[in-house]
Amino acid sequence: MSNWEILWASRDVFWQGFGNTLTIFSISAVLSFLLGSLLLFSMEGVRPRLKIPLRIFIDAMRMLPFLILAYLFYYGLPSVGIRMTAWQAGVLALVLYHGAYFAEILRGSRITLSSGQEEAAIAQGFSRPTMFLRIILPQLVLRTRGVMGNQLIILLKDTAFLVIITVRELTAAANSLSSTYFIPMEAFIVVIGFYWMISLALEQGIRFLGRIGEKRGFNNA
Amino acid sequence: MDGNAWGLLLQGAWTTAWISGVSILLGVFLGLVVALLRLAKIPFLDQLLGAYISLARATPLVTLILFIFLSGPTLGINLNRSTAAIMALTLNTTAFNAEIWRSAFNNFSKEQREAAMAVGMTPWVYFRRIMLPQTVITSLPNLVNEMSFLVKGSPAIAVIGIVDLTRVTNRISAVTYDPLPPILAAGALYMAMIGLLVWGQRIAERKANRLAM
Amino acid sequence: MPEQPEVSIRNLSKSFDGIEVLRDVDLEVKSGEVVSILGSSGSGKSTLLRCINWLETPDRGEIRINGERIGLQDKTQKPMSRRELAKVRTQLGMVFQSFNLWPHLNVLRNVTEALIYVQGLKKSDAVERAMAFLHKVGMAEKAASYPATLSGGQKQRVAIARALAMQPKVMLFDEPTSALDPELVGEVLSVMKDLSSEGYTMIIVTHEMDFARNVSDQVVFLEKGIIIEKSAPEIFFHSPRSERVRRFLELDKVV
Repeated sequence: MSNWEILWASRDVFWQGFGNTLTIFSISAVLSFLLGSLLLFSMEGVRPRLKIPLRIFIDAMRMLPFLILAYLFYYGLPSVGIRMTAWQAGVLALVLYHGAYFAEILRGSRITLSSGQEEAAIAQGFSRPTMFLRIILPQLVLRTRGVMGNQLIILLKDTAFLVIITVRELTAAANSLSSTYFIPMEAFIVVIGFYWMISLALEQGIRFLGRIGEKRGFNNA
Repeated sequence: MDGNAWGLLLQGAWTTAWISGVSILLGVFLGLVVALLRLAKIPFLDQLLGAYISLARATPLVTLILFIFLSGPTLGINLNRSTAAIMALTLNTTAFNAEIWRSAFNNFSKEQREAAMAVGMTPWVYFRRIMLPQTVITSLPNLVNEMSFLVKGSPAIAVIGIVDLTRVTNRISAVTYDPLPPILAAGALYMAMIGLLVWGQRIAERKANRLAM
Repeated sequence: MPEQPEVSIRNLSKSFDGIEVLRDVDLEVKSGEVVSILGSSGSGKSTLLRCINWLETPDRGEIRINGERIGLQDKTQKPMSRRELAKVRTQLGMVFQSFNLWPHLNVLRNVTEALIYVQGLKKSDAVERAMAFLHKVGMAEKAASYPATLSGGQKQRVAIARALAMQPKVMLFDEPTSALDPELVGEVLSVMKDLSSEGYTMIIVTHEMDFARNVSDQVVFLEKGIIIEKSAPEIFFHSPRSERVRRFLELDKVV
């Protein structure tokens, strides 16, 4: 059997890893975007009490490597009695970490949004949450689509770190196949291909969002 | 944590720092080379470099490091761990830096080129004396930003057994049976390193903004 | 019993960073009346308008819309909650100098958005009402366009439709033509003129003298935060009581 035939025979292992990576990625992407939006909303308004602690949280995340956060949740927290599976610790770390980055991306665009649009919404009787959800957030997403897309790709790549805390994702699949059959080259070429495919699909999605944005005159992405 | 643990931790920090540092230096320079090669638009090479950049940007560092370290021997190349780590980090960061350099070159104003030609500069003199110095200043904030991304990605080298600032926390807790303090201490050291880069980035931004006026 | 004014402003004062922008302003606007507020820039006229719907919080004084207090609780003098404020504001439509359309929504949805998410209308009803008002301002055929593709005059007409669709009692206009190219001013003024003849109550901050002369029932002149002239347009433009207004009008003629 050639090396490629060995890989084909164990395609189940790849599919499982691919499925796990996609699942972890999708859940974390959705939750971290929601968290980022929520963080931004909590920092809105005239005198938000939460502004300073949230600012510290966001800056801390931006100065830490993702893996050390995953280490903290998986290896560190059990010593204060909080136990999570590798999967739970990994997803929680991804959501908190990238939620902070999403909040920062949105905030960067938020401060350049004209206050007139907000005034128009207030004059029309919008409540703060409705205004944020319907007037502000959609515009921020359209404006920051490029940076958001990059952040999603970074999130995808960060899922590979989870192999180190023993999550059975795509890179773990390649690693285990390569050590079982000693065919590292082929195994890793296949998974890198998988990652590339997901990234290209994400970029395509962003380009689609770009067309929606352009129609509305949002060219500054 | 006792003195011994702190000693180990600092060793880990040093490992992270020097491997990242070497990769950053290589990556900034090679990124410039790749950007210039792409600006020359040489057929085939241009597509090849484009594919490299797209692929390198999509490949997780952990995966890339395992790939290089494990498949080296099957090609008859025996890499030591540090070399494999530096290769992987450099391959990764070069792709991002190449795009930073390239966009800075592309955004460079044509008028300056015309002004330089008008006073009789050769293209090489123009590039060395006019274009490059300004491009360095305008790209620097983004390059420094990419440096902090590299440091944040550097724990990936732990996967091939390098005892960096992240992995050293396992070592320490294997002795002390309490992983929390070394992880928190490592986090603080990372913050110090990356904080330094963020601070450098702010200074670079101020310089770049002054140039833009 | 005298007719209750639609808008009544009493003793309104407001300062920014210690500088008094409005001082003891009194103004009453009856139902169906059109009031133009004139004055040089920095006279406080925009601030006055923005206080009426509480986009600026006045330091002192009270404002009533149909007898209903805005901004502060009548009994306790405590600030209204956002919800209460939003409810009073639905009686006031506002048109801004810079249009402030929402760029991610098309023309139709700019109008329906508040109908659906503030007034709670069914989508089909909101669309029907929005189309009626877009038709009124002559923008019905642009319903599917996005703001970025419209001219300034078209944007402002959509903004007017957006405010009208909420069916407010009073329309506030904050220099609605100041951001427009001269050739686009006419289309907006003509829409506003139609509204005045339909009996809308309107308060307009403007620099358009001819419009103020021909359309308003009352002209107010503001100088350094004080109303120094308040009269019918015939009197205001032909025999103003104050020397300052006379100079202002002459300057306008020269330009």
